[in-house]
Amino acid sequence: MEDAALWFVIAVALAFDFTNGMHDAANSIATVVATRVLSPRFAVIWAAFFNFVAFLVFKTHVASTIAKDVVEQDILSIGVIFAGLMGAIGWNMLTWYLGLPSSSSHALVGGMVGAAVAKSGFGSVVSSGLSKIGVFIVLAPLIGLALGFIVMVLVLQFSQKAKNVDKLNRGFRKMQLVSAGAYSLGHGGNDAQKTMGVILALLIATGHAGADSDVPLWVVLSAHTAIALGTLSGGWRIVHTMGSKITRLQPAGGVAAESAAAATLFFVSANGIPVSTTHTITGCIVGVGSIQRLSAVRWGVAGRVVWAWILTIPGAATVAALLYLMLKPF
Amino acid sequence: MDQRALFFFVASVVAALIVPVAAEELRYVPTTVSVVYVILAAASYLDWRTNKR
Repeated sequence: MEDAALWFVIAVALAFDFTNGMHDAANSIATVVATRVLSPRFAVIWAAFFNFVAFLVFKTHVASTIAKDVVEQDILSIGVIFAGLMGAIGWNMLTWYLGLPSSSSHALVGGMVGAAVAKSGFGSVVSSGLSKIGVFIVLAPLIGLALGFIVMVLVLQFSQKAKNVDKLNRGFRKMQLVSAGAYSLGHGGNDAQKTMGVILALLIATGHAGADSDVPLWVVLSAHTAIALGTLSGGWRIVHTMGSKITRLQPAGGVAAESAAAATLFFVSANGIPVSTTHTITGCIVGVGSIQRLSAVRWGVAGRVVWAWILTIPGAATVAALLYLMLKPF
Repeated sequence: MDQRALFFFVASVVAALIVPVAAEELRYVPTTVSVVYVILAAASYLDWRTNKR
C-alpha cells in the first residue's frame, strides 16, 4: 500500500515538473520569440532540448537543498510531500490561468513548508536552508538586473564600432540562438532539480534511499524529461507578458538578457541554491530595458509580477496546509 | 535627479541589508552585488550629468 502511495506521489511530482515546464520554461523562449529570431514552434523545441540535456552539465546540489534543507527530514512523509506538491500545483495553475509570471520554485518551497507546519508546527522548518533560499529570492533578480545592464552596455559599446548595421543585427540574431540555449540549459539545471529533490525526499522518507544518498539516475532522467515535455506544451500567456509587456527587446537586448540570466543560473546552480528562473530573467530584461532610461520599463507590469512573487510562498503554503489538514484523517 | 542612479543606489542598499542575514559562506554575494550597484549608480549619475550639460 505504501509503495503504491509512493509511486503515486512520484507521478504527482513529475506532473508538477511538467506544469513547471509549462509555466516557467516558457520564459526561456520569450525573448527569442519577441525578437522573431525563431518561430514559437522552433523556439519551444530548442528550449526543451536544452532543458533536457542540462543533466549532463550540472551536479545535483539544488536537489539536495530541496530534499534536505527546507523541512526537517524526520517530519517528511508521503502525506506532507503530497500536500506540499498539490499546494504548489494548485497555486501554479491559478497564476497560470491569470497569466501571471509567478514562481513554481517558490510555490514548491511554500507548499512543502505549509504542509510541514500543518503537521508539526514551525519547528519543522529548517530555518538556515529557508533563509538561504529567501536571501536569493531578492538577490537573483538583482544579480540578473545588474548583469543584464552591464552586458547591454558592453554590447552597445561593441555595436558603436560596427560599420554595417544589418550585418551586426544578423550576428546578434545568431548569437541569440546560443544565449537562448544557454538560458534553457541553466533553467533545466535549476528547475528540474527541484523535482529531483522532492522525489529524493520521498525516497529517503520511505526508506528507499539513505539520508546521505545522491539522486538516482532514473530520477534525474525522468525529471528532465517531464520539464522538457512541459516546455513543449507551452505557456503562451506568460511568454506574451515576459517578452513584450515588460519592455520591448531587439536581438542585441535578447542576447544580453539571456546571457545575463544564464550566467546567474549557472552560478546559483553550482552553489546548490534553488531560485526562480522567472525572477532571474525578469531582472535581466528590466536591466536591459533600463539601459537608456527607466521609463523604457513598464513598471506597472513589473510591479504586478513582484506582487505575484510576494504572494507565492504564503499562498502555496496556505493551500498546502489546508490540504494536509483535510487529508490527515485518511 | 537621475532616476536610474537613484534606483541603482536603492538596489545597493537592499543588497547591503541582506549581508547580515546571508549564510556566512555566501556573504560575498550580496556584498559584491551591493558594491556593483554603487558603481552603477555613480556611473549612471555621471552619465546623466554629462548629458545634461
